[in-house]
Amino acid sequence: MGVLNFFKTIPSMSADETKRFISAKHPDEYNLVDVRQPGEYEGDHIPGANLIPMAELKDRLAEIDPEKPTIVY
Amino acid sequence: MLLGAGFKNVYSMEGGIRAWDGMVAHGVPEAGMAYFSPAADAEEIVGLAWALEEGSKFFYQGVSEHFSHDKEAQEMFSWLVSAEKSHEKHLLETYEKLAGKQPDFVKLRSKFSNSLDGSVMEGGIPVKEALDWAKDKGISESLELAIALEVNAYDLYVKMSRAIEDKQAKLIFEKLSEEEQVHLQKLAKLLDARL
Repeated sequence: MGVLNFFKTIPSMSADETKRFISAKHPDEYNLVDVRQPGEYEGDHIPGANLIPMAELKDRLAEIDPEKPTIVY
Repeated sequence: MLLGAGFKNVYSMEGGIRAWDGMVAHGVPEAGMAYFSPAADAEEIVGLAWALEEGSKFFYQGVSEHFSHDKEAQEMFSWLVSAEKSHEKHLLETYEKLAGKQPDFVKLRSKFSNSLDGSVMEGGIPVKEALDWAKDKGISESLELAIALEVNAYDLYVKMSRAIEDKQAKLIFEKLSEEEQVHLQKLAKLLDARL
């Protein structure tokens, strides 16, 4: 990862836009990743979200398809 | 990190889960997955998923009997019974399209005798336990329980469709999640109408 990546801005989606996006697409067409801690995920999460805590993301990138749009929260 | 790893379209949801006012699922990532883990192929998954639909059908049937004095509520829960029946039908049709035959329930019953009797509903809750809870509850509370359980079922089916390698089984889970999504939208409308 180059240093310039630290300065790239990640586009954002509002919760409403996310809801519309999810309901218009098949779950197979996007990645929805919950990067919080397991205890938070257990309490509540967006249905269909995969849990990959931020600290594990680097080692678990293979679980997400880079070709699909990815929403993280 | 994702951008650096070659991910092209990455979005961060503004406000995180606190900003989300849609339905939420509960439980650890692997919740419910163990139910399907004894299944070796798509046919066995269809059998187990069918049994959950059967359990949900018994639940709605039981709840409709709680409201014998309320014709409107009874009709609503009877409609939910018929929705589960149609889920079961679609599930069997999907399998038939994929495999060219109906699932062999005699074989499935010999392997999963205790799991195929419809005693457990979607969300992994025993039907009897759910009916006991719902006995003295109102329509909205029974619908809320149904929605909570079906949201968890949707969550499970989406995650199973991503996790499972068998292509036919993957398609079965995709179909189940699609049906669950439509069903949830209808349940949410019913609940809105009652509130």
